[in-house]
Amino acid sequence: MLSEQLKGNIHFLKSVNSWEEAITESAAPLLDDGSITPEYVEDMIENVHKNGPYIVIVPGIAMPHAKNEGGVVKTGISLLKLEEAVPFPENKKVNLLFTLAAEDTSGHLDLISDLSSLLIEDEVREKLEQANSEEEILDLLQTVE
Amino acid sequence: MIQMASPAKETTDSNVVDINRPSARARVQAFGGFLTNMVLPNIGAFIAWGLLTALFIPTGWIPNEELAQIVGPAIKFLLPLLLAITGGRMVGGQRGAVMGAIGAIGLIVGSDIPMFLGAMVIGPLGGLIIKKFDRLVENRIPAGFEMIVNNFSLGILGFLLMIVSFFFIGPVIESANNFVTTAIEALVATGLLPLLSLINEPAKVLFLNNVIDQGIYYPLGMQAAAETGKSIYFTVASNPGPGLGLLLAFTFFGKKTARRTAPGAIIIHFFGGIHELYFPYVLMKPLTIIGMIAGGATGIGVFSLFDAGLVAGPSPGSIFAYLGLTPKGSFIGIIAGVLAAAAVTFLITSLILKMEKNKDEEEDELSDSIEKSKAMKQQGKQVVNSSKKDENIDKVSFACDAGAGSSALGATTFRKKLQKRGIDGIEVKHYRIEDAPQDSNIIVVHKDLYDRAKHAHQDKEIITIENYISDPNLDELLDRLENR
Repeated sequence: MLSEQLKGNIHFLKSVNSWEEAITESAAPLLDDGSITPEYVEDMIENVHKNGPYIVIVPGIAMPHAKNEGGVVKTGISLLKLEEAVPFPENKKVNLLFTLAAEDTSGHLDLISDLSSLLIEDEVREKLEQANSEEEILDLLQTVE
Repeated sequence: MIQMASPAKETTDSNVVDINRPSARARVQAFGGFLTNMVLPNIGAFIAWGLLTALFIPTGWIPNEELAQIVGPAIKFLLPLLLAITGGRMVGGQRGAVMGAIGAIGLIVGSDIPMFLGAMVIGPLGGLIIKKFDRLVENRIPAGFEMIVNNFSLGILGFLLMIVSFFFIGPVIESANNFVTTAIEALVATGLLPLLSLINEPAKVLFLNNVIDQGIYYPLGMQAAAETGKSIYFTVASNPGPGLGLLLAFTFFGKKTARRTAPGAIIIHFFGGIHELYFPYVLMKPLTIIGMIAGGATGIGVFSLFDAGLVAGPSPGSIFAYLGLTPKGSFIGIIAGVLAAAAVTFLITSLILKMEKNKDEEEDELSDSIEKSKAMKQQGKQVVNSSKKDENIDKVSFACDAGAGSSALGATTFRKKLQKRGIDGIEVKHYRIEDAPQDSNIIVVHKDLYDRAKHAHQDKEIITIENYISDPNLDELLDRLENR
C-alpha cells in the first residue's frame, strides 16, 4: 500500500534553505499530480507555525500534514530525502519528510499503518537513512508491508 | 513525563500549579480560536443568504417577491441556529449541538432582531450544560437505561433552557435598544457627529442597525432633507466604506479560510449592500471593531467637511444605492467619505491582524522555553504521583490537531506495541483533541499541544510525547499497562 502510493512520489535533494521550503518541496509531487491544492501546502506550514513542530514524529523524520479544509483532493503521500538536515522550530533537525494528504480521518489508515511498521524497527529505519534511490526505498518498504 | 490534569493542591511549588492550568496565553488563544471556529464553518451560509438578499429583496437587483420570502426566516432562524449548533458541538459534541440549537430557538422567538451574538453565547452554554450533566450521571445509570436517560435528560434540560432563554432575552434586547437610543440622542445633541460611530458600529454588528437607522437616523434625515434636499443622517450608519476596508484587510492579512472568503464577501457587501456579510469577521476577531469605529468616524467627518448628504435612506447600503441617492454637488464629498472610511478601517484592521500574528509567534517561542524549564522541575514530582493512580485503564486516546495524521500514526504504532507485548483489552484510537471521548482513561498528545489538550480535558490524565514511535513516556505507559 505505502510502496504503491509512494511510487514516483519520492525525490532527493542536497539541501534546502528552510523547513518551509522543505515542506513545499516534499509536497511537490502531490501538487503536480493534483492530489492537493497550493492551499494545503500553506495549511501544512501554518499548522507548524500555530501548533509547533509536533509533525516531527521521530528525531530526523517529519510527517507534514494538516486538517483537510478543502485542500486535499485525493489521499496520498510523498517522500523527500535531504542530504543535509534542515532545522525545524525548536531546532529539530529533519532529513526525511513524509508528506501526508488525507481526505478524511480514516481513508489513509493503511498508509499510516505501513509507515508505522517502517519506523518501528530501528534496523529498518537505519536502512531508510542510508537509501539513496527510489528503488531501494520501495524495496525496503515491501519487506515490512 | 506524565502530567496529571488534577489541580496540584498538595504541593507548594508554584511552578507545578502553573503548569497544571492552561497559561493565560493558551486561554486567550483558545478563546479567539473558539470564536473563529464557531463562525468560520458557517460563512458559506452567510454568503448564500447575502446573495439571495442582494438579488431578490424589493430594492435588490432582480426583485422577486416569492424568493424574497426566504430572506427573513433565513437570517432570523438559519444563521443563528447554525452558529449555536457549531458552538454547542465544540463544547459538548453532538448532544451539545442539539442543546445549543434548542436554547437558541428560545432566544430567536423571544426577540425581534437576528440573534447572532445571543446564539454564540447560548450555543456553547447549552453544550456546557449537557456536558456537565452527562459527567454528573456518568456511571450511575443502571444498565439498559442509558438511551432513555440520555434522551430525556437532553429533552428536559433543553425544555428548561428554551423557556429561560425566551424570557431572558426580551428584556435584554429592550434595554440594549433603550441604551442605544439614549446614547445616540445624547451624541447628536453634542453636535460632534463622528462620535456616533462609537455606538453605530458595535450596534450594527449586534444587529441593532435597523433600530438606529429606521428608528433615529432616517426620521432625523427626512426632517433635514425636507428643508435642504439632503441629509448627512442618512449616511452615518450606512456607509459601506468601513466594511470594505475590514474585508480588504482580511483579504490581505487574514488567516486561512477567513482570507479566502473575504473577497467574495466584499462583492456582496460593497456592491450588493448587504452589510451583514462583514459581521461574522468582526465577531470572530472582536478587536477589529476599533478599525470599524475609526473608519466610520472618518467617513462621517469627511461627509460633514464637504457638507455632503443623501436625499433618502440608502437601503441596502451598497455603493450603487449611495451614488444613486447622491444629489448634485455632493458627489465628491460622498465618494471621498466612503473611500476615506475604507482606507482608515483597512489600515487599522491590517495592523490588528498583523500584530496578532506576530505576537502569537513570539509568545510561542518564549513560552516554549518557559514550558521546558518548568517541565524539567515538574518531572521529579510526577513520578511520585503516577504510582498512586487508579490503574483501571481500558481506553487510551491519541489526539492531535486534525485527528488524522500524527495521532493516527501514534495510535497505530502503540497498538502494534501492545500486541507485541501481548497486552489486550485496551482500546487505542486517534482523535482531534477536542473530540477525544469523555471515557478515555488517558489522552496522549504531543507536548506542543499540551495546553490545548489540557483545556479541553481538564480532569483527564494527559501524557505528552515528542516521538510518536518510541517515546520514553510511551514505554512507561506500556509498562504500566502490562502491570495493571
